[in-house]
Amino acid sequence: MFGQTLAIVRNTFREAVRDRVLYNLILFALLLIGSAIFIGELSAGQEAKIVIDLGLSAMLLFGAFIAIFVGVGLVHKEIERRTLYAILSKPIGRGQFLFGKYLGLNLTLLVNIVVMGLGVVLALLYTTRSLDPLVLRIWPAILLIYFELLIITAIALVFSSFSSPALSALLSFFIFVIGHFSNDLRALSDSVASTPARWLFRVLYYLLPNFSNFSAITATAHGAIPDARTVAGAMVYGVLYVAALLSVAALVFRRRNFK
Amino acid sequence: MKTDIALALVLIVCLGGAIGLSRGLDQHRINSSDSFAEEPLYLNGRSAKRMTLAFNGLAADWYWMRSLQYVGRKIVTYEDEHNGKFDLADLSALDLRLLPSLLDLTTTLDPQFIPAYEYAAVILPEINPNQAIALLEKGIAANQSSWRLYQHLGYIYWQRQDYRRAGEVYEAGARMSGAPTWMPAMAARMKSEGGSRAAARDMYRHLRESSSDASIQQMVDHQLSRLNALDELDTIRQTLASFKQRNERCVISWREVNSELRGFQLDAIGAPLDPSNAPYRLINNGCGADFDPNSKVAR
Repeated sequence: MFGQTLAIVRNTFREAVRDRVLYNLILFALLLIGSAIFIGELSAGQEAKIVIDLGLSAMLLFGAFIAIFVGVGLVHKEIERRTLYAILSKPIGRGQFLFGKYLGLNLTLLVNIVVMGLGVVLALLYTTRSLDPLVLRIWPAILLIYFELLIITAIALVFSSFSSPALSALLSFFIFVIGHFSNDLRALSDSVASTPARWLFRVLYYLLPNFSNFSAITATAHGAIPDARTVAGAMVYGVLYVAALLSVAALVFRRRNFK
Repeated sequence: MKTDIALALVLIVCLGGAIGLSRGLDQHRINSSDSFAEEPLYLNGRSAKRMTLAFNGLAADWYWMRSLQYVGRKIVTYEDEHNGKFDLADLSALDLRLLPSLLDLTTTLDPQFIPAYEYAAVILPEINPNQAIALLEKGIAANQSSWRLYQHLGYIYWQRQDYRRAGEVYEAGARMSGAPTWMPAMAARMKSEGGSRAAARDMYRHLRESSSDASIQQMVDHQLSRLNALDELDTIRQTLASFKQRNERCVISWREVNSELRGFQLDAIGAPLDPSNAPYRLINNGCGADFDPNSKVAR
């Protein structure tokens, strides 16, 4: 069973590479090289901060786009090309197939984010012309970005298990945006007078992903490292949330009629 | 083959035409960016922070660079209009009315952006001291352990000659962990001799030591050289006064007091040079001295 899942993971990763998903790294590299060279002229001594802000923000943005646009096509492409029938005719469960696809995309994202992280390190070394402590301090924030991307991928997978790719991408993007407003949802639930509205916002706050748990870019740019408890808490939250989302995706996918 | 040549010709002709047209349009285009340059910011900081999702740090960087470019553009325009003469000590001439909002937005998007507060502390008091104080107080509220912000707030009060308040702010800053040992001394100095030149020199020296911003350092260097020049001018005036007392007349040329001005750099006619290498000039028929009109020392 583990070997079968691994085969799906490997194939999903290969497919992403064949689809030139990793080409975004070139754009990212150009962005960083350009900023490292030109920002020194414009930032009045804040080069390192701006390189980190730009690098980590681009990492999140590019990663979110890959997670959404590749994520929504994971299942759809297999159905469209009818390769799904061949796979499911083998002793592979539908849930197992989904899980393998999910892990395959996560592997792509991991490679993507590690290469981007090294790119930020190189840009930092270039701008600061020394072994700045920030070179090491950015990695906890990168880890948190990766966990945020894991959730976004799972969301895309849930929507793609029952909806068209375009609609799934749109809905996933909405969740990505709303997930960053989660603190406002909580503030809203605390401030509204009506009890049903208060409950509605409270339920939405807990139901929707809270991406503020993973936001460490700005603090990292100032040289602050999120403490171990915050990072561990966010990672556990991410794993639990992803597990819940994958369960939903598997439940829907198991009942789906492909005839 | 013929089709390829035709297509290549179309490509060359159309591209050439587009480039020519673009150049023509450029020459007749009214620069609309100038008319929008002073438009007030429509977005308040809190809304901007919400809208930028997790990218608030990046947005803060963008507004920070926009603030620097705004000031830089104003200086360049001013210099163009005034034959390259701009006095860094007189920023009010630049009409930087948008700068407070830009810096406020920068620090709302990223409340830990200390260099933005430092920049505000140096530039804003010339434009609107109350906004400068409000911004620094906002910074202190968001960064309660940063003694540097207390130092800058104290500097603003000192500039306003509110030495009592400056002393209180230095005292509060001295209580922060990591505050340098000179903070309590500065607090006491503000209260006892806030308006003195020695206090001013200490103020600028500490400001220079604690800032890594080149524009702040440049401003501080300018002020320190002004203080040095004022000290020099005092020495020269004392020398001229004692010459008059001894000889019952004023000096005719600088040569007569050269031996008493040994610590100074002198020019070809023996006139002492100020920190900008302009000669001091004799006034009141040699009884007094002042800066040369072409001196670059701030006054």
